[in-house]
Amino acid sequence: MISLDKITKSFGNSNAVSDVSFSVPEGSFLVLLGPSGCGKSTMLRMLAGLDQPTSGKMQFGDTLVADGEVGLSLPPADRNAGLVFQSYALWPHMTVAGNIEWPLKVAKLPTEARRARVLEAMEMLGIERLANRYPGEISGGQQQRVALARMIAPRPKVMLFDEPLSNLDATLRVEMRFELLKVHAATGATAVYVTHDQVEAMTMATHVAVMNNGRIEQFDAPDRLLAEPASAFVAGFVGTPAANLIPIENGMWFGTMPDPLLRDHSGHAMVRAEQITLADEEGLRTFDAVLAEVVPMAGRFLVTGIVNGIRITAVSDHVARPSGKLHFRLPAAPAAIFDKQGTRIS
Amino acid sequence: MTTLLGPIGSALNKRGLTLAMALVLFALVAAPLATILVQTLYPSSAAWGDVLASRLSNNLFVRPTINTMIIGLGVAAGCVLLGGFLAWLVVMTDIPGRPAIAFMATLPFMIPSFATALAWGTVFRNGRVGGGGGLLEGLGFAVPDWLSWGMTPTIVVLIAHYYALAFTVIAAALATVNGDLVEAAQMTGASRKRILFGIVLPVVTPAIIAGGSLAFAGAVSNFAAPALLGLPVRMQTLSTRLFGMIEIGQTERGYVLAILLIGISAIFLGLGNRMLSGRRSFATIGGKGAKPRRFALGNARLPLTMAAWVICILTTILPILLLVAASLAPSSLALFSDWTLHYWIGDSNPAFARGQPGIFHNPQLLSALTTTLILGASVALAANIIGILIAVALTRQKVPIMSNLVSQLSFLPMLLPGIAFAAAYIALYGAPIGPLPALYGTKLLLALALTAAMLPFAVQTGRATVSQISGDIDEAARMTGAGFFRRLGAITLPLAARGLAAGLLITFVNVIGDLAITILLYTPTSPLLAVLSYSYASDGFHQFANAVTLVILIISMLATGAATLLRGRRRQSFT
Repeated sequence: MISLDKITKSFGNSNAVSDVSFSVPEGSFLVLLGPSGCGKSTMLRMLAGLDQPTSGKMQFGDTLVADGEVGLSLPPADRNAGLVFQSYALWPHMTVAGNIEWPLKVAKLPTEARRARVLEAMEMLGIERLANRYPGEISGGQQQRVALARMIAPRPKVMLFDEPLSNLDATLRVEMRFELLKVHAATGATAVYVTHDQVEAMTMATHVAVMNNGRIEQFDAPDRLLAEPASAFVAGFVGTPAANLIPIENGMWFGTMPDPLLRDHSGHAMVRAEQITLADEEGLRTFDAVLAEVVPMAGRFLVTGIVNGIRITAVSDHVARPSGKLHFRLPAAPAAIFDKQGTRIS
Repeated sequence: MTTLLGPIGSALNKRGLTLAMALVLFALVAAPLATILVQTLYPSSAAWGDVLASRLSNNLFVRPTINTMIIGLGVAAGCVLLGGFLAWLVVMTDIPGRPAIAFMATLPFMIPSFATALAWGTVFRNGRVGGGGGLLEGLGFAVPDWLSWGMTPTIVVLIAHYYALAFTVIAAALATVNGDLVEAAQMTGASRKRILFGIVLPVVTPAIIAGGSLAFAGAVSNFAAPALLGLPVRMQTLSTRLFGMIEIGQTERGYVLAILLIGISAIFLGLGNRMLSGRRSFATIGGKGAKPRRFALGNARLPLTMAAWVICILTTILPILLLVAASLAPSSLALFSDWTLHYWIGDSNPAFARGQPGIFHNPQLLSALTTTLILGASVALAANIIGILIAVALTRQKVPIMSNLVSQLSFLPMLLPGIAFAAAYIALYGAPIGPLPALYGTKLLLALALTAAMLPFAVQTGRATVSQISGDIDEAARMTGAGFFRRLGAITLPLAARGLAAGLLITFVNVIGDLAITILLYTPTSPLLAVLSYSYASDGFHQFANAVTLVILIISMLATGAATLLRGRRRQSFT
């Protein structure tokens, strides 16, 4: 449905987005995930038609919507796409119903059809009672629902979201994740969702593009990101808790504990928290750490210690001794090894 | 909250400060207004009849009111158009030099309106009322009366003065709509025109109304422009009429006109407020996407850039340059030839200007200069001290009714035309009150009136300062156990000092550029610079008037520049 071919966007001499290619089928939920400044919002704005790619091609279905080489870029309205802004961008001088109806008016829908669409969108998000209120008079969560309703009322084939939940508190965020998925399922449209919150990506996406410095580090299904991270960046960015990246030097853990399985590599070895165990005393394949914090989670404990300035987290069934000294035991083999550039070796 | 000010707070009881401030405001604001009303009704209300329904009322009331309304509406419309146009260019388009244009567009308000009016005269004056023509006549053009005197020049000069207000207000509103709100509309496929009329204008409407009504209120109460440009051809407005009445001793009629002027100004500000109420909560949620999108001007870029700069230069630099030239040229017909410093430093010479010496040999100027500076400084100081005290009283002590009263009274002077306010001061303090002697003709009366007039601004500055005293920053210092004076010296003052100093300077500039209040209340023995300039101009000594105005301008510019520097650096380091 959406396919990108070598999309690049430069501002002056620097590339905000470099050489991005991927494609997702109709009805999928694509999450662009990455830290701030990684180029994910620029990507979204190019998909929306608010920015033009410097080079590369972009297709929605069979329609070529942008081609950097020939300077083609369909205006937003001709892409059959809707966008939910981080700020919601509700028009403050129109009521809730007015906000939802305006895009339909612009699209020249007849009055009857407009009324039906507005009602349908409001019902889907449970905001019928707010129809005559102004955006300034309703809460942040309600504004978010209005923004969603406004986006879906014209029935776009592509729904774009720019960090839509970042202005909400934690409880509302969980609730709205569910609402979003419901809307996505009900409309069958293809969604592209920008966030820096890996939990949102893991819970909502069918496809995730992890972005860093304007490039895609990995494009995969959420579970694949966890199982087979393509780079040290991805390994350290996703997962709750994220996997431990332990420095290795010439086949030695921390540069001091030789291990034939590391095969003389230097860089980082990925060890998941659930693979590290807590030992009662020093022994084979153990290393010492200073206790940093213990987080209770789902009946178990995430125990974090600091070794040489690096945080190492293990999952444990019992709380560590309060002495402040910890002994972590390494697993038989690391889950993955990355070289100094962060590229995966094995 | 109760120990916020530590020892000082406990020294004053819980309501003391609010009560004290209410008394101060009563004496400075409420009492003069009440007196002016009472004096027109008691012992006789004949003045109302004279003004509103008599053979005189056409001249006293009807014509001046019509002129005032035309000026007010014309200036409001012009300011919204001009200020809105510049605001649109600066906020929404890719016009080059945006920061410079934005800075220039706020300057005209710092140039006293009589300076702009005098500059107008240097170019467009014709010889009809004596005193020689202006630059255009010198070049051989016959300047028609309508362009030299009366309504048109008054409106143009006032627009050039007040559009800065509309610009500031509208630019701020446009900045909030630009970005996401416009992009959300673009997503729907709406045309540029539809976005302008469907989204941008409605969101900015409250600001347009606010800017327009501020300009209206300013224009109807302005005295300098209609007096300099209208009086020579007997065009009267309410403010010039009011001045005339009091000058010839018909004070009751003057007071009636003052009340009517306050009424007109209040009605329009009230209407503006009415239209704004309920729409004020146009707060939008911020997001990283809210970066402004610049609309590309394309081919129109060059002409529009030129237009913007022409507007800015015509209303700021050019009037000043014209005044400089006109203060040096012996003949008003040839502004740029035979320049002489005679009008500045020359000795009395019968061949020049009927023997008038240059302004720096005029003993009146030197005394006016010192009087103006001392008055400006003391009023700025007094107004800001009262302003801070009021701000403290309002934030610390919530006394039912009283707090609300203090807040309302402290902002009331903003709605009052200066000349009407001055008339009210004559009404109250012109005669002895019990053991207190009459203050009419003393500098104290002038200082009191100016202090009251500057209060709204001073209270604003005070609130900004107090919010720093009572905010998290101060609480963080209290947690360390630092006492009130320690915190004042180490935290509050360093943070608030620049803002306070800038506030003081701006008040000072407003005082020394004021003509509406001072023209009624100055003391004949030691007039102020603005009054001196006005009397030179009305006597036809334009070079001297221009020179004195330039002295005021130079002081204003130095003070404004200092204030801008203080504010600018503060903004950089604390936000």
